[in-house]
Amino acid sequence: MSNKRSMVTTLLLLIALTVSACGGGGGATSNQGSEGSSGSKDTEKTLRFATWDTGDSLKVQQDIAKLFEKQHPGVKVQIEPYADGFDQKLAASFGAGNPPDVMLMWDFPTYYTNLEPLDSFMSKDASLKLDDIYESLFNYVKVDGQTYGLPSGFTTRALYYNKKMFDDAGVPYPKDGWTWDDFKAAAKKLSNPAKKQYGFGIRTSNDPYDLQGIVWSNGGSFVSADGKDIEGQMNSPETAQAIQQFGDMLKDGSAALVGGKNQMSGDDVFKAGKIAMWESGVWPLEGFKTAKVDFGTVEMPVFPGKPVKGIVALSAISVAKQSKQKDLAWEFTKFFVSNEVIKMRSNSDLPIRKSLVQEMKFDQNPLYLPFYNMLERSDNTPAFLLNRNWKLVNRYLTTAIDSVMLGENAQDALNAAVKDAKKYIDKK
Amino acid sequence: MHYQRIQMIFHRLLAPRRSLRLKLVILFLIAALLPLFTFGWLSFTKSSELLQDQLGKYGSNAVTQLQYQLDSELSQMELVTEYVHAYLLNPSRIAIHREIPRSYSDLHEQSDLEDFLKALKTVKQRGLFIITKSGYFYGENSIKTTILKEQTWWKAIPADYAGEYWPGFYTPRHYKEFAENEKVLGLVVPIRNQQGALKDSRILIEMNADKMYELFHLFEKSTQAMLTIKNSTGQLIYQSAHAFKPQENDVVWSKSLSLNDWTLEARLPYKSFFQSSNIIRSYTVVGLLFSGLLALLLGFLFSSRVTGRIKRLKESMFLAGKGRLQTRIPVQDRDELGVLAHSFNRMIGQIQDLVQEITITEKLKKEAELRAFHYQINPHLLFNTLNSIQWKARLQGNEDIRKMLYHLAMLLEGNLDITQELVTLRKELDIIDHFLHIQRIRYEHEVNYEQQVDESLMHYVIPRMSLQPLLENIFFHAFEDGCGTIRVTVEEDGEDLVLRLTDNGKGMTEENRQKLLQGTYRSKRGRGLGVNNVDQKFKLHFGPLYGLDIQSVVGQGTVITIRWPKKEEDEHDNQITH
Repeated sequence: MSNKRSMVTTLLLLIALTVSACGGGGGATSNQGSEGSSGSKDTEKTLRFATWDTGDSLKVQQDIAKLFEKQHPGVKVQIEPYADGFDQKLAASFGAGNPPDVMLMWDFPTYYTNLEPLDSFMSKDASLKLDDIYESLFNYVKVDGQTYGLPSGFTTRALYYNKKMFDDAGVPYPKDGWTWDDFKAAAKKLSNPAKKQYGFGIRTSNDPYDLQGIVWSNGGSFVSADGKDIEGQMNSPETAQAIQQFGDMLKDGSAALVGGKNQMSGDDVFKAGKIAMWESGVWPLEGFKTAKVDFGTVEMPVFPGKPVKGIVALSAISVAKQSKQKDLAWEFTKFFVSNEVIKMRSNSDLPIRKSLVQEMKFDQNPLYLPFYNMLERSDNTPAFLLNRNWKLVNRYLTTAIDSVMLGENAQDALNAAVKDAKKYIDKK
Repeated sequence: MHYQRIQMIFHRLLAPRRSLRLKLVILFLIAALLPLFTFGWLSFTKSSELLQDQLGKYGSNAVTQLQYQLDSELSQMELVTEYVHAYLLNPSRIAIHREIPRSYSDLHEQSDLEDFLKALKTVKQRGLFIITKSGYFYGENSIKTTILKEQTWWKAIPADYAGEYWPGFYTPRHYKEFAENEKVLGLVVPIRNQQGALKDSRILIEMNADKMYELFHLFEKSTQAMLTIKNSTGQLIYQSAHAFKPQENDVVWSKSLSLNDWTLEARLPYKSFFQSSNIIRSYTVVGLLFSGLLALLLGFLFSSRVTGRIKRLKESMFLAGKGRLQTRIPVQDRDELGVLAHSFNRMIGQIQDLVQEITITEKLKKEAELRAFHYQINPHLLFNTLNSIQWKARLQGNEDIRKMLYHLAMLLEGNLDITQELVTLRKELDIIDHFLHIQRIRYEHEVNYEQQVDESLMHYVIPRMSLQPLLENIFFHAFEDGCGTIRVTVEEDGEDLVLRLTDNGKGMTEENRQKLLQGTYRSKRGRGLGVNNVDQKFKLHFGPLYGLDIQSVVGQGTVITIRWPKKEEDEHDNQITH
C-alpha cells in the first residue's frame, strides 16, 4: 500500500518537474531590462552638489566629496557635473523647484533670489575663520548687503611671457610696474609676421569682464559707480583708449588674433611659442608647466600716472534656498572652504586663505605672486554686480569690443553699443 | 556472481514471457512514459509555438520601435534645420551681410544668428552650424572646418545636392574635442535660396548617437539579431559589429524610415530563432529520460517485491506438492497475496492433519490384518476333522457332542471367514446363536437370551465378530455363576442403527467402565481388550462419531449401546485386498 502511494507521489513529482522545466525555457527570455533599482537607504542622506568642473578638476571634486562622506558617515554626496550646461541646468532646476543643495556660483545678481543668505550661519561659526579669507573677495558674493555664498577660489589676471622668445629677441624680461608703452614696444620687437610669430595674443571673442581691470587702470569704466549709467562711461575716452590699443597692436602686426573660428586657442598658441605674451587667469599655468614652456608671469602694465587695477574671477559655493537640509549643506559649504579642501583645489583655483598662501609659499613663488599682487589692486566692483540687466548690456559691449579687434574704431563701436544698450540699463 | 546475474537478466530479456517482473517493469514504464511523453510533446510543441510567435512579434516590435526612435530623432534634426531656414528667410531682416564680420554691425548680425543657433541647441545635440562655401562658419566655436572639409562623408556630398543629405553615423573628428569612439548622427542641408554671404552655405546639425547606439546594442543583445541600416543606394549606414553571414533561411524583420530613404533590417539566424524551442526540447527529453529511468527503477523495486512474494508462494507450493507438508509461508501484508499465503498455510495444515489421521488408521488396519493372519489356521483341516468327530459322535449316539461340534463348526466358520469385514446383522446374530448354544451346553445353565430385532433391519451390515467378544465378556465377568438374562435389541434411529446389549449381571464400577472403554482394563486372566477392540472396529469402519458406550449399575447389570450408520451389504466394500 505504502509502496503504491509513494509511487503516485513520485509520478506527480516527475510530471511537475517536466512541466516546470518547460516553463523555465519560456521564462528565461523575459527577465531582461529589469535593472536593479539602487535606492539609497532611508538612513542615508544624499547631498546634491552641482559643479561646472570637467576632466581633472571634476576628479578633484569627487575626491572632496569622498572625503566629506568619510568624515560624515551616513551622508552621500551626489556630484552633478553640469559642465557647459551649468547655467541652463541650474536655472532649470531652480525653476522646477528641485535644485541641488549646494552648488558652485559666481553670478550672484542672477541667482541670489534662489540662494540662502549665509550671514547667520557665518556669524555663528567661529571655526570658519572669516578674517583669514581675502576681504575683497566678499565683494563678489554679496547682493544688497547679504552674503549668498562663500568664496572658494579665485583668480586675478596677469601676463604670461615666454622667456625663450624674449631671450631670442634680446628683450629684457618684463618687471612689475612696467607701462603699456613698455609692453607695446616689447611686443613689437617680439613680432615676426613672416614666421607667424607675434608679441601678444588677442582673443577674437572677448569677455568684457576680463578687460575691466585694464579699463579701470586707465581710469575708465563700463558703468557708473551707482550702476545706473553707461553713457559717458562705457564710451568714455579712457575706456575707448584702453580697448583701442589692442586694435592698434593688431593693425601694426605686433599682436595676433587667437581663438577665433578655425583658429587655435590662445593657450595653445602660447604653448606653441607663436606668441610671446598672453594675458590670462591662473588656469593655464599648470598646463604651461606640463607643456614645458619656459615662462614667467608679471603684473599687468600701468598707464603712466594711474594705479593699476585688477579684476577677480571668483568661484564661490552657495546653498539653495529650496534645500531641505540646509544644516548639512552648510556643513559641506564650510568644509569646501577649509584649508584641506582649498589645498586640494589649488591646481585650478588660487587659495582664498592668507594663512594657506603663506603655508604653500605662493607669496614667494614668482609665478603666483603677480596674481596675489593683482588681487590687492582689485578693489573696484565689476559691472555685473552694479546692474541687474548687465547681461543684456554686455551683449552689445562684447560685440563692440570684438569689432575693435576686427578693425573698427573703438570710440565708434562703443558709441554704437551704448546707443543700442541704453534702453536696457534702466529696465528694472 | 555478477556475470551470472547479467546472464540471467539477458536470458529473461530473451524470454520475457517467463518473468512476471519484466512484465511489471514494462507496464510501469508504459504507465509512466505514455502520459509523460504525451504531455511533454504537447507542452513542447505548444510552448515553442507560442515562443516563436512571441519572439517573432517581439522582434518586429523591436524593429518598429527602433524605426520610431530613429524617425523621431531624424525628424527633430529636420525640424531644427527648418527653423534655421525659416530664420534665414525672414524678410524683416537680412541675416548676414558679410560672411566674415568686420564691423560692429557685422558682428552684431553674427552674434544674433549665433544666439539663434544656440537657442536651438538641445542636450542631445552635438552641434548646429551654418558653414559657408569658403569654410567660415556660424555657431559655437567648437569645430574646425578645415578638418571637416577633409572628412570623407563631407566630401561625398555632391556640390549641387538639394534637399536633406543624411551622411549617417560617423566620428566627429572636426570637433576640437572628440573621443575616438564617439559617434554622431549628421544632417546636412545645403542652403539654396540665399544670395550673398550665405550663398551655397550648408546647415550642419549633429546629434549624439550614443543613445542610439545603446539602443542598437540593446536590440542586438536582446534579439541576437544583426542590425543593418542602409539607404536607398545600398550604402551602409550602420551594421552590427559582430561577424555575421546572411543566410537564405534567416528570419528577417525589415522597416523603412518614414523620414528618409533608410531601411532598417534585422536578421536573425534560423538557428538562433529556434534556439529557445531547442532548449525546451532538450529539457523535455532530459525530463523524459529521467522519469523513464525513475519509472524503471521504481518498477523494478516494486515488482521485485511483488514477484518475490509470488515466487516464494510458488516455491512453497512446489515443496508442499513434493510432500514437505511442514512448509509454511510467512504472512507479511494483509493484501491479496497475504490472504493467499494464509489460505495456503491453512490448507497445508489441514492436509497434514488428514494425512496424519490416515496414517494412524492404516497402521491399525495393518495391525488387525497381521493379527488375523496370525490366527489363520487351515480351516479345511479343522472343519474336516470336526465333521469326522461329529460323524463319530453320531455313530456312537452321543447327541450332545454332535450338537456341540455342529455349533462349534458353525461358530468357527463364521469366525474364521476373514474374507468379509462387514457381515449382515442376520449372519452376526446367527453366529451369536451358535455361540450361545455352545455356552449353554458348556455350563449346563440356562441363560436367558432375548433377541428383539426387526426383520427389516437384518440385511444391514455390522463389523464381523463385534458381538461375540461382548458376550464372552458377559459370560466371563458379569455372570460368575453362569446364570442371567442377556437381551439384544436393534433399533433404527434415523440413519443410524442402535444395538443394545443388556445383561443383569453384577455390573461394574465407574472406574472399570472408563478403563474398559479406554482399553486399559486388565482382568486377572489377561482379558478385557475385547470391548475396546469392538469400539475401535466401529470407529474404523464408520468414523469417530460412531462406536460403543457402556452404562452400568453395580449389582444390577450393564447396558452396552452400539451406534453405527445404516449400510447395506456391498460386494466391493467387503473385499479385503492384500
